[in-house]
Amino acid sequence: MFKLIYTEWLKWNKQLIFRIVCAFYLILLPSVLMLGKKLPELPPPIGTTEVMFIFPTVWTYLGYIGNWLCFFFFGFFAVISITLEFNNRTLRQNIITGWSRQDVFLAKFGSIAALSLLATIYYVLCALVIGYTHTDVVYLSKVFQEGDIIFRYWLMSFSYMTFGLLIGFLIRRTVIAVFIYLIYIMILEPVLRWGVHRYFWEHPSMHFYPMNATEDLIPAPLSPIAEEFAEKAGFDLFMSPFEAIITTLIYTTVFIFIVNSHLKKADL
Amino acid sequence: MILQTKQLTKEFGPLRAVERLNLEIEKGMVFGMLGPNGSGKTTTLGMVLGIIHPSAGSFEWFGGQRGSNPRRFLGALLETPNFYPYLSAEDNLKIVAQIKRIDKPDIDRALEIVNLLQRKKSKFKTYSLGMKQRLAIASAMIGDPEVLIFDEPTNGLDPQGIAEVRETILQIAQMGKTIIMASHILDEVEKICSHVAIIKNGRLLATGPVGAIINDDILIEIGAEDKAQLQGFLPTLTGFSKIEETDFGFLLYLQSELPTSSINRAAFENGIIINHLRRRQKSLEAEFLEITNQN
Repeated sequence: MFKLIYTEWLKWNKQLIFRIVCAFYLILLPSVLMLGKKLPELPPPIGTTEVMFIFPTVWTYLGYIGNWLCFFFFGFFAVISITLEFNNRTLRQNIITGWSRQDVFLAKFGSIAALSLLATIYYVLCALVIGYTHTDVVYLSKVFQEGDIIFRYWLMSFSYMTFGLLIGFLIRRTVIAVFIYLIYIMILEPVLRWGVHRYFWEHPSMHFYPMNATEDLIPAPLSPIAEEFAEKAGFDLFMSPFEAIITTLIYTTVFIFIVNSHLKKADL
Repeated sequence: MILQTKQLTKEFGPLRAVERLNLEIEKGMVFGMLGPNGSGKTTTLGMVLGIIHPSAGSFEWFGGQRGSNPRRFLGALLETPNFYPYLSAEDNLKIVAQIKRIDKPDIDRALEIVNLLQRKKSKFKTYSLGMKQRLAIASAMIGDPEVLIFDEPTNGLDPQGIAEVRETILQIAQMGKTIIMASHILDEVEKICSHVAIIKNGRLLATGPVGAIINDDILIEIGAEDKAQLQGFLPTLTGFSKIEETDFGFLLYLQSELPTSSINRAAFENGIIINHLRRRQKSLEAEFLEITNQN
């Protein structure tokens, strides 16, 4: 497994898009949060912007920024990491050279799991540094009050990239695949949920869509809007962390299963 | 036995790209798969290399003695050279070595054989087509595999590139490797291969040693002012397998070596004035077309 992931590393570490994606993630994750210092204050009832930087809420604010970055940069990279292999016909060459289809599958999913892990470690480091430098009195119990968010962060990143791999494998053409990835998450699924599902059936089940569940692993810290929605609709705006984890795990498993069976059967 | 296919078949919808193909390739052969474009050569190689699933039939590498994934013991290139364009030759070959699970690959040696050592740090996308093709050969050589597979290795190359690639393949053949090469160029197969299989519309038309399948018949073109008289005289000659009438007179298929001067003398002694006498080798293209057209 390590060898497979190392081979993927050899493929990508000198590639420009991969380097740009990583650089953006590394720079933007802490710096977007730090931009919060420029805000005069947050909408009531939160008020002061201090919550963005202190334990334990720093996890949520930083996590939500990471949510967008992972969706946009890592998901995008996952899509092109497959489509470019189809364009260059290197995936089939990998198999001709000696990988089994199972090796291809393990290499791809192993490397997005590893990349998600590295992204999560960086997230944890950033949160710890920012939290410690901004919290006046640090209690360890407060620091890790919502420690499960670390696992949810990893799963969030892995889930976006799994969806990216799925789209990449099924579509194979870079531009169309990237377009579908972005359009599905940003337009199609929201329209399905808010326009269609909610119109016919205003029920918590409107949340149980794959990319929404992924997003709700680390939901937007928008308590006033969430409360307003809950009052009107009679159920919460976001899934609970537990619901989000289970839903994401189920969808991710299904996507992995589809990719695996597709890869086994397809002529390359 | 290096490779054996049994009734190998591939259908793409209603199209039968390969039909019940039986091939036997033994150690040390330089085996040419000869056929026109679209005859099913690449599809066949795609199947035995694991990227295309056969519709029916089976194949077996090394008599089944190299486990479930024998491709690591082969070196192969299919159609175009496929590499990561943004990586150097060296980095691309490192990936190949990783996939083949070779810890200390001799990348420099492989690049030296194909004369690319000077350019090993250059990115693949900066290479000319000939260099790309040669890199593909170097890549196939990584790990010193017993069997090398080349698919149209000189396709799209200029004459110098063709000569270089052929020279390289011949060198590899001299190392005692088994080579399987698909080509639509008869001359190439004749110059490089020891054995040949002729394939058309996915079917095997003929297979065997190159000399037995593609024989270089010697032909004599002969013409006289009095064609009828010549026609009467020709059957009295011996050493021909066939006589064919043509525009200029007749075409004789020689079975054994016979100087034209002796034909001329015999004709003259019979009072026939020859006005056209020419010795030539049957063109290989003609032979190939003959085999493929008969079927």
